[in-house]
Amino acid sequence: MSRHDFGNEVNNMRVDRRTFIKGCTMAAAALGLSETMVPKLVAAATSAQRPPVVWLHFQECTGCTESLLRASHPDIGRLILDIISLDYHETVMAAAGHQAEQVLQETINKYNGKFICVVEGGIPTKDGGIYCKIGGRTAVDILADVAPKAAAVIAIGTCASFGGIQAAKPNPTGAVGVRDLVKGTPIINIPGCPPNPISFLGTVLHYLTFKRLPRTDQLGRPLFAYGREIHDQCERRAHFDEGRFVEQFGDEAHRQGFCLYKVGCKGPGTFSNCPAVRFNGVGAWPVGVGHGCVGCTEPEFWDTMTPFYERLPGVTIPGGGEGIVTGATSVGMKILGVTAAAVGIHAAVGIGKRVVKCKKCNKTPDEQE
Amino acid sequence: MRYQQNLAWSVLLRLFHWSFALSVVVLVTTGFYIHFPWTNTMLEGGRSFPVATMFYIHFIAAFVFTAALLARLYLLLFGNRQERFWDFLPITPKNIVNLFKTIANYLYISDKYDRRLGHNTLAGIFYLVTFILGLVQVLSGFYMLYPENVVWQTWGLRLLGPMQQARYLHYLIMWYFIFFAFVHLYIVVWSDIWHKEGLISSIVNGRKYTPDKS
Ligand code: HEM
Ligand code: HEM
Ligand code: SF4
Ligand code: SF4
Repeated sequence: MSRHDFGNEVNNMRVDRRTFIKGCTMAAAALGLSETMVPKLVAAATSAQRPPVVWLHFQECTGCTESLLRASHPDIGRLILDIISLDYHETVMAAAGHQAEQVLQETINKYNGKFICVVEGGIPTKDGGIYCKIGGRTAVDILADVAPKAAAVIAIGTCASFGGIQAAKPNPTGAVGVRDLVKGTPIINIPGCPPNPISFLGTVLHYLTFKRLPRTDQLGRPLFAYGREIHDQCERRAHFDEGRFVEQFGDEAHRQGFCLYKVGCKGPGTFSNCPAVRFNGVGAWPVGVGHGCVGCTEPEFWDTMTPFYERLPGVTIPGGGEGIVTGATSVGMKILGVTAAAVGIHAAVGIGKRVVKCKKCNKTPDEQE
Repeated sequence: MRYQQNLAWSVLLRLFHWSFALSVVVLVTTGFYIHFPWTNTMLEGGRSFPVATMFYIHFIAAFVFTAALLARLYLLLFGNRQERFWDFLPITPKNIVNLFKTIANYLYISDKYDRRLGHNTLAGIFYLVTFILGLVQVLSGFYMLYPENVVWQTWGLRLLGPMQQARYLHYLIMWYFIFFAFVHLYIVVWSDIWHKEGLISSIVNGRKYTPDKS
């Protein structure tokens, strides 16, 4: 296809051509594709047959949708809406009530095996799944109805991917992610709280262009976006290696832009492209503006990454109930203290015993057999 | 009193012991620093790279540690009689009896020490726990060292959970190693004094002494 051809097609789209090409170029860059692939992405994105998408909302805050469609990146949001045909999405669709449910049924039957199912939010499984119902049906039922008919499921956000905040201990509703319930349909996880719209866009464009989902890591996250640790791409890494650390928010080191490791940055251990792709089209990301990464793309991050301003979680004292938690270092020190005391007593008893027994002899007890 | 001299430990076991012991000391020291880099350079334009250097030393020691564990694994199966797991784990009636006798002796309840050429069963259990936790350190360590490697990712996730969980375990187990080194040194010295078998030198020259009853 020549440049002239797709230029015309793009002109018919609702976003202007410049934005459209820009969006596709950003996605290509995120995907690690060369510039020469951009026309292919554009061609796939502008093909007459826009893939129907069913967007399911379960236990969530709608933050993923908000960040995708609103934020200060309206162009990307509109671009996505132009590329896909969003047939069912509770937040943005015009239909409501029975009408909406009817649209859902029609879409999944009409495009059986062809539509993309996007899931936002965790799925509660406890007590028959009653903690999340839409139109009288539980989230578990809706997912079991829709997912097997989809060509692929995209779990957007950490909740849909791994359960998210409602799956944090003690997980009162038994919330799980899509991958725990759906088997047989290809699933891709785009975790993050919320995830970067570019990662979602890249996944969709990859699917449209190459007719398959991008390669993933062991947690089902696309490698192009979640293949490397934040810590290995961070602009403050030189400060880390040099041992220049922020000790306290607002101190001189913080003003100098030093590494946030000691104030709890979870960049080591978190996989995402935040340092490279950044957010909201203004080149910003959390660590860049002085706040540590909280590890929002990782499973169980509410449990394992908290306290957010400390390096590691505290140790729960067994028998002390949920309430007694202290730092791992202080637990280690205490155990060593008790050990030292025990060793001291043991040695003292030994010496005492020797003094008493060997008054009569100068043999060791062992030799008196 | 006359003593009989017997070879207890092969050269490979002694090599294992000292490379293991030295690497643990280095790993704990550098690990502590990695956990809490207490120096703060503050000065820009320096070229000392303290944290990067500590990591580097940690990784070199980690490879020595891993090699030592592999050597011990080989000896557990193919070493001499004292070195095989059969000799010092509470899996034979003789060893179980030895376990109780040893505990009684260590607590000064009994003066009799059930001598053996190899480890006593109490020590054996302690060493096995150390060996297994050493393997956990290796798995969690390599999982963190090669975050993009599929093999470590698969097994790390399966056995330890998300990476932050592995980091947490890695840190907690460091405390076990400090505890072990401390108790180990005390018991070795204590036993060397009380049991007179030349225990400490045995881990250097391989030979232990037993009172000659004949
Ligand atoms: C100068 C310090 C040390 C001395 C004198 C020493 C001495 C000994 C001796 C005498 C034994 C044999 C004990 C027996 O028969 O039960 C032994 C075994 C052992 N030591 Fe040490 N040790 C030292 C430091 C360490 C350290 C720092 C570690 C690691 C944390 C360590 C780990 C071990 C292990 C794992 C064994 C069992 C060997 C086996 O697998 O068969 N040692 N040590
Ligand atoms: C007895 C053995 C070991 C001890 C006591 C030890 C101790 C530690 C400690 C305390 C930390 C800091 C953890 C934190 O607070 O984040 C650490 C970090 C680390 N250790 Fe070890 N370690 C041991 C063995 C190993 C081995 C065998 C490897 C294998 C390569 C390894 C690789 C690492 C790595 C990669 C880190 C960096 C974690 C990060 O990215 O923050 N360690 N170690
Ligand atoms: S700020 Fe965080 S991600 Fe960046 S180098 Fe420091 S610890 Fe790593
Ligand atoms: S920097 Fe960390 S916490 Fe922030 S969005 Fe990226 S992965 Fe999530």
